[in-house]
Amino acid sequence: MGVVDLITRVDSICKKYEKYDIDKQREANVSGDDAFSRLYSAVESALETVLQKTEDLSSETNKAKAVAMNAEIRRTKARLLEGIPKLQRLALKKVKGLSKEELDVRNDLVLSLSDKIEAIPETSAPVVGGWEASTSYSNIRFDTNVSNHRIGSEYFEPTRESDQFKQEYEMKRIKQACQDQGLDYIAEGLDTLKNMAQDINEELDRQEPLMDEIDTKIDKAATDLKSTNVRLKDTVTKLRSSRNFCIDIILLCILLGIAAFIYK
Amino acid sequence: MSSDPDKMMSKADKMTKLTLTRWSADWRGATELYEQAANGFRASNKYEKAKVALEKASKGQEMQASPWDAAKHMESAAALAQKLSIWNEVADFYRKASELYVECGRAQPASDALGKAARALEDVKPDDAIQLYTDACEILEEDGRDQMAFDLYRACANVYIKLEKFTDAATFFLRLGVAADKCDATNSQCKAYLSAIILYLYAHDLQQAEKCYNDCSQIDAFLKSDQSRSASRLLTAYNEGDIEEIKKVASSSTVSNLDHMIIKLARKLPTGDVTTIQMNTNDDLDEDDLT
Repeated sequence: MGVVDLITRVDSICKKYEKYDIDKQREANVSGDDAFSRLYSAVESALETVLQKTEDLSSETNKAKAVAMNAEIRRTKARLLEGIPKLQRLALKKVKGLSKEELDVRNDLVLSLSDKIEAIPETSAPVVGGWEASTSYSNIRFDTNVSNHRIGSEYFEPTRESDQFKQEYEMKRIKQACQDQGLDYIAEGLDTLKNMAQDINEELDRQEPLMDEIDTKIDKAATDLKSTNVRLKDTVTKLRSSRNFCIDIILLCILLGIAAFIYK
Repeated sequence: MSSDPDKMMSKADKMTKLTLTRWSADWRGATELYEQAANGFRASNKYEKAKVALEKASKGQEMQASPWDAAKHMESAAALAQKLSIWNEVADFYRKASELYVECGRAQPASDALGKAARALEDVKPDDAIQLYTDACEILEEDGRDQMAFDLYRACANVYIKLEKFTDAATFFLRLGVAADKCDATNSQCKAYLSAIILYLYAHDLQQAEKCYNDCSQIDAFLKSDQSRSASRLLTAYNEGDIEEIKKVASSSTVSNLDHMIIKLARKLPTGDVTTIQMNTNDDLDEDDLT
């Protein structure tokens, strides 16, 4: 491990355990009566914590936690920015035991502080995520109204996953539109079918008594026909019965005999 | 029997005339001759003479107490008269035929005859046609065969629409509804009511249309039907003056299943200014508020 590393490590450790540094605290407490200094130190410490958080965020692998931290950062940033005008007012106030130059300096301090706050990055750096984009439930909408400024393209840094999400959402939306159209066609067809079916139903109802009438009439005609047939059969058999046939033959022979006799 | 139809006609006439030598007319022989003569005339395209022959044949059959044949001949005569465009004869013959059918106790052919007459006269004498249609419907209703009357009611309403008497046409649709109610033909009934409402709206009579809708809603079958939903949508669209909605309802499938004349009228809705109708209803409210 090189010297540089050592130095950086020492610095970070000192920073971490600053609150145990009595000297520094005493220094800070000197300006405890001054409202401005108090507020200023408070804001500064808050700013430091936020910056620390952003650094943690960049190393955060859990997406959910990253999102939560992002939200927290944004919230704190907003609060700090709200506190800035108060600080500015206090800076302009004259405090006893303070020189004019220090007053100006305070103003500058406030401005620089506000710049620093605004410079806090609000988004996470592109994370090399290890997980697959899950199937998005299309039509989930996000209300991005957390802070009342800077809503727009700067607010959202597209990541690979979010792009994929977007694409899938668009595809699903188009598919759904096609489905809706198809369903509309089907609905129209079904309406026509329903109407036709009802008309057929009524027509069948109308024709039922007619069919019954036809049925009875045909039954009557059929029975008439049957009886006529039977009678006809009787007549025909009677006509062609063997007795009559024999009588016919005998009479024919007699006739032929008489004819032969006459011509002889 | 000579094959010349004219000769047959004269012979038959002689047979039917009562003279000193002939004490009773020989209707059977005469009728036969008349029929043959009529066929001969028709074959030679002498329609006027054929018509006369058929008339006489029908009379002969009547005398022989066979109204069915008589009616049949009358119908043929009427068809020939139609070909010759002698319209009052058409109406008379068909009426006579219808009466003869009623004598036989056959209501369906009777109303068919009147229906044919009405169809023939639709373009020429629409009022007579309407009368004939009404009579035909009455015959069927008396016989209890309401379902056959639907087509006649629809045809009659179409005639009224052609004459632009929309309220009369709507009345006929309501009568159709009554007939449909008797035989539980709910689909036809609902369609008839929707057609009536559309006709009232076309005639620019929103109050009447609403009254009609309210009356029809008393009927359970109509209340639960698609047609009543379309009607209520149409009426609300009219009340709000929403032309887009009116057009949407008019081109919906429910309206497209009605008679084609009604569809044509529906597509032409809204007639006139919908906003004026709206204004009128608003005025009424203001008056009420003042009192």
